[in-house]
Amino acid sequence: MWVNLFVALILENKSKKEAEAFAHAFIAGSMKGTRAGSAEETLARKAVVLEYSREKQLGRSRRRSSKRRSQCGKPLSAGEKRRLKVFDIKPEHQRYELFLPLHDLWKQYIMSICNGLRPGSSPQLVQQKLLKADFHGAILTVVRSKCPSYVGTTGILVQEFKHIFKLITKEDRLKVIPKNNSVFAVEVNGFVSHIYGSKFEYRASERSAKKFKVKGSIDL
Amino acid sequence: MAGNLKDKEAYQRLNYLHQAAHCVLAQNTSNDALARFYSFTQRTIAKRLVLRQDPSVKRTLCKKCCSLLIPGVTATCRQRRKGRRTRFTVVRCLSCGQTKSFLNDPGHCLWVDKPEAQLENQVQPGERSYLIILSSVITASREVGAAEASLC
Ligand SMILES: [Zn+2]
Repeated sequence: MWVNLFVALILENKSKKEAEAFAHAFIAGSMKGTRAGSAEETLARKAVVLEYSREKQLGRSRRRSSKRRSQCGKPLSAGEKRRLKVFDIKPEHQRYELFLPLHDLWKQYIMSICNGLRPGSSPQLVQQKLLKADFHGAILTVVRSKCPSYVGTTGILVQEFKHIFKLITKEDRLKVIPKNNSVFAVEVNGFVSHIYGSKFEYRASERSAKKFKVKGSIDL
Repeated sequence: MAGNLKDKEAYQRLNYLHQAAHCVLAQNTSNDALARFYSFTQRTIAKRLVLRQDPSVKRTLCKKCCSLLIPGVTATCRQRRKGRRTRFTVVRCLSCGQTKSFLNDPGHCLWVDKPEAQLENQVQPGERSYLIILSSVITASREVGAAEASLC
Protein backbone atom coordinates (compact mmCIF):
# COMPACT_ATOMS: atom_id res chain seq x y z
CA MET A 1 0.00 0.00 0.00
CA TRP A 2 1.88 3.04 1.22
CA VAL A 3 5.22 1.64 0.36
CA ASN A 4 3.95 0.31 -2.94
CA LEU A 5 2.54 3.71 -3.79
CA PHE A 6 5.93 5.21 -3.19
CA VAL A 7 7.67 2.57 -5.19
CA ALA A 8 5.36 3.17 -8.10
CA LEU A 9 5.87 6.89 -7.86
CA ILE A 10 9.58 7.00 -7.49
CA LEU A 11 11.65 5.11 -9.92
CA GLU A 12 10.63 3.39 -13.09
CA ASN A 13 14.16 2.76 -14.24
CA LYS A 14 15.38 1.25 -10.99
CA SER A 15 15.02 -2.26 -9.75
CA LYS A 16 12.13 -2.91 -7.40
CA LYS A 17 14.35 -3.85 -4.49
CA GLU A 18 16.30 -0.61 -4.65
CA ALA A 19 13.13 1.44 -4.89
CA GLU A 20 11.68 -0.35 -1.90
CA ALA A 21 14.78 0.27 0.19
CA PHE A 22 14.65 3.92 -0.79
CA ALA A 23 10.97 4.20 0.12
CA HIS A 24 11.49 2.56 3.50
CA ALA A 25 14.37 4.87 4.36
CA PHE A 26 12.38 7.88 3.25
CA ILE A 27 9.29 6.96 5.28
CA ALA A 28 11.35 6.20 8.35
CA GLY A 29 13.00 9.60 8.02
CA SER A 30 9.72 11.42 7.54
CA MET A 31 7.81 10.00 10.49
CA LYS A 32 8.18 12.04 13.59
CA GLY A 33 8.38 10.50 17.02
CA THR A 34 8.03 6.87 16.08
CA ARG A 35 10.35 4.21 17.24
CA ALA A 36 12.61 2.63 14.70
CA GLY A 37 11.01 -0.46 13.21
CA SER A 38 7.50 0.48 14.24
CA ALA A 39 6.95 2.56 11.12
CA GLU A 40 5.46 -0.40 9.29
CA GLU A 41 2.90 -1.12 12.01
CA THR A 42 1.82 2.47 12.27
CA LEU A 43 1.37 2.74 8.56
CA ALA A 44 -0.65 -0.44 8.43
CA ARG A 45 -3.39 0.94 10.62
CA LYS A 46 -3.98 4.61 10.09
CA ALA A 47 -3.16 7.70 8.13
CA VAL A 48 0.02 9.44 9.21
CA VAL A 49 1.10 12.95 8.43
CA LEU A 50 4.52 12.79 6.89
CA GLU A 51 6.82 15.25 8.49
CA TYR A 52 10.50 15.67 8.56
CA SER A 53 12.60 14.98 11.60
CA ARG A 54 16.30 14.57 12.00
CA GLU A 55 18.11 13.59 15.15
CA LYS A 56 20.43 16.54 15.10
CA GLN A 57 20.14 19.79 13.22
CA LEU A 58 23.40 21.24 12.04
CA GLY A 59 24.12 24.60 13.51
CA ARG A 60 20.71 24.89 15.17
CA SER A 61 21.49 23.85 18.70
CA ARG A 62 24.41 26.18 19.00
CA ARG A 63 24.69 29.24 21.16
CA ARG A 64 22.56 32.27 20.57
CA SER A 65 25.23 34.59 19.23
CA SER A 66 25.55 32.42 16.18
CA LYS A 67 21.98 33.13 15.16
CA ARG A 68 22.83 36.19 13.15
CA ARG A 69 25.58 34.31 11.45
CA SER A 70 23.28 31.46 10.53
CA GLN A 71 20.86 33.85 8.87
CA CYS A 72 23.34 35.49 6.60
CA GLY A 73 24.41 32.17 5.15
CA LYS A 74 28.10 32.24 5.83
CA PRO A 75 29.66 28.90 5.10
CA LEU A 76 30.57 26.78 8.07
CA SER A 77 34.05 27.35 9.38
CA ALA A 78 36.51 24.51 9.66
CA GLY A 79 35.96 24.27 13.40
CA GLU A 80 32.20 24.11 13.00
CA LYS A 81 32.55 21.41 10.40
CA ARG A 82 34.66 19.36 12.72
CA ARG A 83 32.27 19.82 15.61
CA LEU A 84 29.19 18.94 13.60
CA LYS A 85 30.90 16.07 11.76
CA VAL A 86 29.37 17.16 8.46
CA PHE A 87 31.37 14.81 6.29
CA ASP A 88 31.44 11.70 8.47
CA ILE A 89 29.73 8.67 7.01
CA LYS A 90 27.51 6.97 9.55
CA PRO A 91 28.20 3.29 10.26
CA GLU A 92 24.84 2.17 8.87
CA HIS A 93 25.73 3.65 5.48
CA GLN A 94 29.06 1.90 5.24
CA ARG A 95 27.78 -0.84 2.99
CA TYR A 96 29.54 -1.91 -0.15
CA GLU A 97 26.44 -2.42 -2.30
CA LEU A 98 25.27 1.13 -1.62
CA PHE A 99 28.30 2.38 -3.51
CA LEU A 100 28.12 0.11 -6.53
CA PRO A 101 25.91 2.56 -8.49
CA LEU A 102 28.49 5.23 -7.75
CA HIS A 103 31.18 3.03 -9.23
CA ASP A 104 29.09 2.50 -12.38
CA LEU A 105 28.66 6.24 -12.66
CA TRP A 106 32.38 6.70 -12.26
CA LYS A 107 33.14 4.23 -15.05
CA GLN A 108 30.86 6.17 -17.38
CA TYR A 109 32.57 9.38 -16.35
CA ILE A 110 36.04 8.02 -17.09
CA MET A 111 34.83 6.70 -20.44
CA SER A 112 33.52 10.11 -21.40
CA ILE A 113 36.78 11.75 -20.33
CA CYS A 114 38.99 9.41 -22.31
CA ASN A 115 36.72 9.43 -25.35
CA GLY A 116 35.77 5.78 -25.04
CA LEU A 117 39.21 4.51 -23.98
CA ARG A 118 40.06 2.42 -26.99
CA PRO A 119 42.95 -0.02 -26.65
CA GLY A 120 44.96 2.02 -29.14
CA SER A 121 44.90 5.27 -27.20
CA SER A 122 48.27 6.26 -25.83
CA PRO A 123 48.88 5.63 -22.12
CA GLN A 124 50.41 9.06 -21.61
CA LEU A 125 47.27 10.77 -22.83
CA VAL A 126 45.00 8.69 -20.64
CA GLN A 127 47.20 9.30 -17.65
CA GLN A 128 47.16 13.02 -18.29
CA LYS A 129 43.38 12.88 -18.22
CA LEU A 130 43.28 10.69 -15.13
CA LEU A 131 45.52 13.11 -13.30
CA LYS A 132 42.88 15.80 -13.45
CA ALA A 133 39.96 13.43 -13.06
CA ASP A 134 37.93 12.70 -10.00
CA PHE A 135 38.52 9.43 -8.21
CA HIS A 136 35.46 9.26 -5.98
CA GLY A 137 33.79 5.99 -6.87
CA ALA A 138 36.86 4.32 -8.31
CA ILE A 139 38.00 0.90 -7.16
CA LEU A 140 41.47 1.29 -5.72
CA THR A 141 43.92 -1.40 -4.70
CA VAL A 142 47.00 -0.85 -2.60
CA VAL A 143 49.86 -2.42 -4.54
CA ARG A 144 52.85 -1.35 -2.56
CA SER A 145 53.23 0.28 0.79
CA LYS A 146 55.78 0.81 3.48
CA CYS A 147 53.30 -0.72 5.85
CA PRO A 148 52.73 -4.27 4.62
CA SER A 149 49.32 -4.71 6.20
CA TYR A 150 47.82 -2.17 3.78
CA VAL A 151 48.94 -4.09 0.72
CA GLY A 152 46.13 -5.86 -1.07
CA THR A 153 43.33 -3.74 0.33
CA THR A 154 40.71 -3.21 -2.36
CA GLY A 155 37.69 -1.01 -2.17
CA ILE A 156 35.59 1.78 -3.61
CA LEU A 157 37.00 5.20 -2.84
CA VAL A 158 34.30 7.17 -1.08
CA GLN A 159 36.19 10.17 0.21
CA GLU A 160 39.49 11.73 -0.68
CA PHE A 161 41.19 14.04 1.77
CA LYS A 162 44.54 15.73 1.76
CA HIS A 163 46.50 12.91 3.32
CA ILE A 164 44.17 9.93 3.28
CA PHE A 165 41.88 7.88 1.11
CA LYS A 166 38.75 6.40 2.64
CA LEU A 167 37.92 3.11 0.97
CA ILE A 168 34.96 0.88 1.54
CA THR A 169 35.82 -2.78 1.15
CA LYS A 170 33.66 -5.70 0.05
CA GLU A 171 33.41 -6.72 3.72
CA ASP A 172 31.54 -3.45 4.39
CA ARG A 173 34.43 -1.94 6.30
CA LEU A 174 35.60 1.62 5.98
CA LYS A 175 39.37 1.66 5.62
CA VAL A 176 41.40 4.79 6.09
CA ILE A 177 44.64 4.58 4.16
CA PRO A 178 47.32 7.26 4.19
CA LYS A 179 48.46 8.38 0.75
CA ASN A 180 52.03 8.79 1.82
CA ASN A 181 54.35 5.82 1.24
CA SER A 182 51.78 3.83 -0.72
CA VAL A 183 51.18 3.00 -4.37
CA PHE A 184 47.61 2.55 -5.54
CA ALA A 185 46.36 0.83 -8.65
CA VAL A 186 43.22 1.97 -10.40
CA GLU A 187 41.70 -0.21 -13.08
CA VAL A 188 39.56 1.15 -15.89
CA ASN A 189 38.36 -1.33 -18.49
CA GLY A 190 41.53 -3.39 -18.39
CA PHE A 191 43.74 -0.33 -18.29
CA VAL A 192 45.65 -0.35 -15.01
CA SER A 193 47.17 2.85 -13.79
CA HIS A 194 49.35 3.33 -10.75
CA ILE A 195 49.05 6.26 -8.42
CA TYR A 196 51.99 7.25 -6.28
CA GLY A 197 50.30 8.43 -3.12
CA SER A 198 53.24 10.52 -1.98
CA LYS A 199 52.95 12.70 -5.09
CA PHE A 200 49.20 12.88 -4.70
CA GLU A 201 48.96 14.56 -1.34
CA TYR A 202 46.51 17.26 -2.26
CA ARG A 203 42.90 17.80 -1.47
CA ALA A 204 40.50 16.45 -4.07
CA SER A 205 39.69 19.96 -5.17
CA GLU A 206 43.26 21.23 -5.34
CA ARG A 207 44.35 18.69 -7.88
CA SER A 208 42.27 20.10 -10.71
CA ALA A 209 44.22 23.34 -10.64
CA LYS A 210 47.59 21.73 -10.02
CA LYS A 211 50.34 21.31 -12.55
CA PHE A 212 52.19 18.02 -12.35
CA LYS A 213 55.74 17.55 -13.54
CA VAL A 214 56.95 14.57 -15.45
CA LYS A 215 59.53 12.61 -13.53
CA GLY A 216 61.62 9.64 -14.46
CA SER A 217 61.64 7.35 -11.47
CA ILE A 218 59.79 7.84 -8.25
CA ASP A 219 60.60 6.54 -4.84
CA LEU A 220 57.74 5.23 -2.72
CA MET B 1 28.62 19.55 -27.49
CA ALA B 2 31.05 22.41 -27.28
CA GLY B 3 34.08 21.75 -29.42
CA ASN B 4 36.85 23.73 -27.82
CA LEU B 5 35.67 24.58 -24.38
CA LYS B 6 38.68 25.60 -22.35
CA ASP B 7 38.03 23.87 -19.06
CA LYS B 8 36.16 20.94 -20.43
CA GLU B 9 37.73 18.44 -18.04
CA ALA B 10 36.94 20.59 -15.06
CA TYR B 11 33.35 20.98 -16.18
CA GLN B 12 33.11 17.24 -16.65
CA ARG B 13 34.44 16.78 -13.17
CA LEU B 14 31.91 19.19 -11.70
CA ASN B 15 29.20 17.38 -13.59
CA TYR B 16 30.35 14.04 -12.28
CA LEU B 17 30.48 15.26 -8.70
CA HIS B 18 26.98 16.68 -8.96
CA GLN B 19 25.69 13.41 -10.35
CA ALA B 20 27.57 11.45 -7.69
CA ALA B 21 25.86 13.47 -4.97
CA HIS B 22 22.49 12.67 -6.54
CA CYS B 23 23.45 9.02 -6.90
CA VAL B 24 24.46 8.69 -3.26
CA LEU B 25 21.27 10.34 -2.05
CA ALA B 26 19.16 8.13 -4.29
CA GLN B 27 20.67 5.06 -2.66
CA ASN B 28 19.87 6.16 0.84
CA THR B 29 18.16 9.41 1.64
CA SER B 30 19.76 9.75 5.03
CA ASN B 31 23.31 9.53 3.71
CA ASP B 32 23.54 13.28 3.36
CA ALA B 33 27.08 13.46 4.70
CA LEU B 34 28.62 11.96 1.60
CA ALA B 35 26.40 13.94 -0.76
CA ARG B 36 27.48 17.03 1.10
CA PHE B 37 31.11 16.08 0.73
CA TYR B 38 30.75 15.75 -3.05
CA SER B 39 28.86 19.01 -3.35
CA PHE B 40 31.49 20.68 -1.21
CA THR B 41 34.27 19.38 -3.46
CA GLN B 42 32.32 20.53 -6.48
CA ARG B 43 31.99 24.01 -5.11
CA THR B 44 35.63 24.23 -4.08
CA ILE B 45 36.79 23.22 -7.55
CA ALA B 46 34.52 25.79 -9.14
CA LYS B 47 35.86 28.45 -6.79
CA ARG B 48 39.45 27.49 -7.35
CA LEU B 49 39.29 27.51 -11.11
CA VAL B 50 36.88 30.46 -11.19
CA LEU B 51 34.27 28.60 -13.20
CA ARG B 52 30.75 29.88 -13.21
CA GLN B 53 28.12 27.27 -12.55
CA ASP B 54 24.73 27.42 -14.09
CA PRO B 55 22.03 28.89 -11.80
CA SER B 56 20.00 25.71 -12.07
CA VAL B 57 22.90 23.84 -10.48
CA LYS B 58 23.74 26.55 -7.99
CA ARG B 59 20.19 26.71 -6.71
CA THR B 60 20.29 23.10 -5.63
CA LEU B 61 23.20 23.65 -3.27
CA CYS B 62 22.90 25.05 0.24
CA LYS B 63 25.04 28.14 0.68
CA LYS B 64 25.88 27.35 4.24
CA CYS B 65 26.52 23.64 4.56
CA CYS B 66 26.82 22.67 0.85
CA SER B 67 24.03 20.10 1.06
CA LEU B 68 22.32 19.07 -2.11
CA LEU B 69 18.81 20.47 -1.85
CA ILE B 70 16.15 18.09 -3.12
CA PRO B 71 12.62 19.15 -2.20
CA GLY B 72 11.03 16.57 0.08
CA VAL B 73 14.27 14.76 0.80
CA THR B 74 16.85 17.23 2.03
CA ALA B 75 14.85 20.44 1.77
CA THR B 76 11.35 21.75 2.19
CA CYS B 77 9.79 23.88 -0.51
CA ARG B 78 7.07 26.33 0.57
CA GLN B 79 5.18 29.25 -0.89
CA ARG B 80 5.33 32.44 1.18
CA ARG B 81 3.57 35.71 0.64
CA LYS B 82 4.80 39.23 1.23
CA GLY B 83 2.31 42.00 0.66
CA ARG B 84 -0.62 41.42 -1.66
CA ARG B 85 0.99 40.32 -4.84
CA THR B 86 4.50 39.19 -4.25
CA ARG B 87 5.01 35.54 -3.52
CA PHE B 88 8.19 33.65 -2.91
CA THR B 89 9.26 30.06 -3.13
CA VAL B 90 11.21 29.39 0.04
CA VAL B 91 13.56 26.44 0.05
CA ARG B 92 14.82 25.48 3.49
CA CYS B 93 17.78 23.21 3.97
CA LEU B 94 16.85 20.50 6.44
CA SER B 95 20.32 19.94 7.82
CA CYS B 96 21.24 23.50 8.74
CA GLY B 97 18.01 25.46 8.40
CA GLN B 98 19.38 27.92 5.87
CA THR B 99 16.73 29.29 3.53
CA LYS B 100 16.80 30.44 -0.04
CA SER B 101 13.92 32.42 -1.45
CA PHE B 102 13.06 32.94 -5.05
CA LEU B 103 10.59 35.54 -6.22
CA ASN B 104 7.78 34.02 -8.26
CA ASP B 105 7.93 36.15 -11.35
CA PRO B 106 6.99 34.58 -14.64
CA GLY B 107 8.58 37.45 -16.54
CA HIS B 108 11.92 37.08 -14.81
CA CYS B 109 14.88 36.38 -17.02
CA LEU B 110 18.16 35.12 -15.68
CA TRP B 111 21.18 37.29 -16.32
CA VAL B 112 22.94 34.54 -18.21
CA ASP B 113 19.96 34.26 -20.55
CA LYS B 114 20.08 37.94 -21.43
CA PRO B 115 21.82 38.87 -24.64
CA GLU B 116 24.01 41.57 -23.06
CA ALA B 117 25.59 39.03 -20.71
CA GLN B 118 26.71 37.01 -23.70
CA LEU B 119 28.29 40.00 -25.38
CA GLU B 120 30.00 41.41 -22.33
CA ASN B 121 31.72 38.25 -21.20
CA GLN B 122 32.56 36.98 -24.66
CA VAL B 123 31.00 33.67 -23.83
CA GLN B 124 31.14 31.29 -26.72
CA PRO B 125 27.63 30.33 -27.69
CA GLY B 126 28.50 26.68 -27.18
CA GLU B 127 29.33 27.05 -23.54
CA ARG B 128 25.86 27.71 -22.28
CA SER B 129 24.34 24.89 -24.26
CA TYR B 130 27.00 22.58 -22.88
CA LEU B 131 25.99 23.48 -19.36
CA ILE B 132 22.36 22.85 -20.20
CA ILE B 133 23.29 19.40 -21.40
CA LEU B 134 25.07 18.82 -18.11
CA SER B 135 22.08 19.83 -16.08
CA SER B 136 19.67 17.84 -18.19
CA VAL B 137 21.64 14.70 -17.46
CA ILE B 138 20.72 14.91 -13.82
CA THR B 139 17.02 15.57 -14.27
CA ALA B 140 16.32 11.87 -14.02
CA SER B 141 17.44 11.80 -10.42
CA ARG B 142 15.80 15.11 -9.72
CA GLU B 143 12.43 13.68 -10.66
CA VAL B 144 12.76 11.48 -7.60
CA GLY B 145 12.61 14.55 -5.44
CA ALA B 146 9.76 16.04 -7.42
CA ALA B 147 7.63 12.94 -7.01
CA GLU B 148 8.01 13.06 -3.28
CA ALA B 149 7.51 16.76 -3.00
CA SER B 150 4.10 16.35 -4.56
CA LEU B 151 3.17 13.94 -1.81
CA CYS B 152 4.21 16.07 1.12
ZN1 LIG C 1 22.31 23.71 4.63
